[in-house]
Amino acid sequence: MKSSFYLIGIIVLVAIFGFVMIKGASVGESSVYTAPIVDGVQEVVLGVKNYNYYPNTVKVKIGIPVRIYLDSSVSGCLRDFTIRDFEIHEYLKTTEDYVEFTPTESGRHAFACSMNMGTGVLIVE
Amino acid sequence: MSSREFSRFMAEGRDNFLKSIFVSLIVSFAVFLIAYFIRLKSIESFMPKYGFFIFFSILSYSLIVTTLKHISRYNEFPCMGGMMVGMTLGMIAGFLPGFFIGATNGMFVGSVFGMVVGIYLGVWSGKCCGIMGIMEGMMAGFMGGLMGAMTAIMMFNDHLKAAGVIVFAISSMIIVGLNFMIYKESKSLDKQDTGNFVNLVLSFVLTTATIWLSVFGPRSPLFQ
Repeated sequence: MKSSFYLIGIIVLVAIFGFVMIKGASVGESSVYTAPIVDGVQEVVLGVKNYNYYPNTVKVKIGIPVRIYLDSSVSGCLRDFTIRDFEIHEYLKTTEDYVEFTPTESGRHAFACSMNMGTGVLIVE
Repeated sequence: MSSREFSRFMAEGRDNFLKSIFVSLIVSFAVFLIAYFIRLKSIESFMPKYGFFIFFSILSYSLIVTTLKHISRYNEFPCMGGMMVGMTLGMIAGFLPGFFIGATNGMFVGSVFGMVVGIYLGVWSGKCCGIMGIMEGMMAGFMGGLMGAMTAIMMFNDHLKAAGVIVFAISSMIIVGLNFMIYKESKSLDKQDTGNFVNLVLSFVLTTATIWLSVFGPRSPLFQ
């Protein structure tokens, strides 16, 4: 009897507070960014927010070269930038360094650091 | 280990364990509710950002303080048993707070908090078997705190919430195993009755510290 009371109490507490506290939980922050075209090149500067690239969803146009820089907030392994779909893997040591490629396939292409700790998506339209 | 022995352990200890978990949950959720209605409610997207991690911290503390209460029923353990107790509790008590605070505040704060809780509780539980238990508790708390925060950071963009649930589930199984081990190893030892005062105080302190640190505590620059 006693243990049933405690067991039911525990289940009720966990269910009520679990529902309220877990509902809508989110980690990090996502943001969609459309790359502007400067002198015929789509330029993107990525920073870091909540331990991830920011912006982490970038829209670019197909067939126009894309240039990606990492600003000074990006450090550690996040400076080792990769886009596997376009066979890009470069360590961008300074804020002047960049990766450049021309997207030829539309769709969603993941970008990440070499350890996959920072991730994002490049949407080619 | 036979299933009959495990069933006997569950039958004999059920009342005490459930009561202890229940008391700890009541205290922790009461602290959370008071803090929520006084201050946390006004923080923008508080629940989506912190609710998950605070909820699992509270569940973790209820298991940890219940085990501590079980351990404190015995004045001393055989050496090997005491080492195991100090090591397991130190590791779990370091890993879980480190993980949940690491997920909201970053590596430094998460690991320091995890180490402090892990070492303190590891030493407390390990002291029943002398210096070896104390050393085991210290080392396990130190390692658990660092590892918990590090795991959270490494998984931050890779199913962190799912990892949190898995980590909690595995830790719970280890805690149940530890309690069973204590029951088995200490059948012949003298027991003393312990109230729920330590449970109450520990649950209050740990929950308050976790809520305060995760919401208002210092953060790693990458979490700004």
